[in-house]
Amino acid sequence: MSSEVKTKAAPRRKRLPLTYVVAVVPVAAALNIVGGQINTVLKLPTFLDMIGTMVAAVILGPWWGALVGVITNVVSSFISGPIGLPFAVCNVAGALVWGYANIWGWARKNWSFFLVNVLVAFVVSLFAVPIYVFIFGGATGHFADVMTAAFLGMGQNLIVSVFSSNILVSLADKIISGYVGLAIIEALPENLTSSARLPKSEGLKRIIIPLVGVLIGVAIILLFLAIA
Amino acid sequence: MNKKTVGTKEGLAFGIIALGVLMAFMPSAAQQIADLEFVASEPFPILLGATYVLALLVILAGVGVLVAKFDDKEEDE
Repeated sequence: MSSEVKTKAAPRRKRLPLTYVVAVVPVAAALNIVGGQINTVLKLPTFLDMIGTMVAAVILGPWWGALVGVITNVVSSFISGPIGLPFAVCNVAGALVWGYANIWGWARKNWSFFLVNVLVAFVVSLFAVPIYVFIFGGATGHFADVMTAAFLGMGQNLIVSVFSSNILVSLADKIISGYVGLAIIEALPENLTSSARLPKSEGLKRIIIPLVGVLIGVAIILLFLAIA
Repeated sequence: MNKKTVGTKEGLAFGIIALGVLMAFMPSAAQQIADLEFVASEPFPILLGATYVLALLVILAGVGVLVAKFDDKEEDE
């Protein structure tokens, strides 16, 4: 009897079918890899390699998202060289923030979901900047290097320059990834996304809200390009 | 416990396994990164930094194990 009361008071996360997890994890990793390759080919000032991580972290859990992040960067390192491998920790950190923010109910409202994406961008930058500075000397050939050079030209030191350029790129990237992920999760059947505690919207708002989020990300990119 | 379902415990387990796999790739990756023309670092500091960051994530995984609830009977209901 007492366990019944306890169950009602504190609902647990449902166990997921193994086949569902086995299907989602590789698809999410593939989504990340394809996004990253498109970004590389088009030379966009973003990364686009965390959309699948966000989806997996929210609908499966933070550590499943971390697994997706590691698979993404390990496989990418076979495709495009070892530069991406150290950044796997950024993908893991992003998965943990998105996943635990979902579990703790931080992303239930539209404004709080936006702030969670900003938090992900900040945490990922905290992990990425030391990798950029201490391993690669501040440049990896990404579009953001142009802006790092601009900040260096203004007289800033290397760490500040890399952080300033990376946080702008990361902010745009995580906002776009978060809202594209939200659109994907809303398109999935409800019984498969029961653990997602994201802003609920009906009708046309299901399209408009992700679209506005992506547009905000694009606006940040345009601002970035204007500065660069 | 239904064997065909997975939960928090399995998620954490696979997350920790993934960190282990990443750690296994780091020595060869550190050498390959150090070989790049524009990289001034030596392999050892690259590997050292990567080990510290991965150690932090393993510690976080341990904290995750501590705070997670693994009551399978309740989760199965």
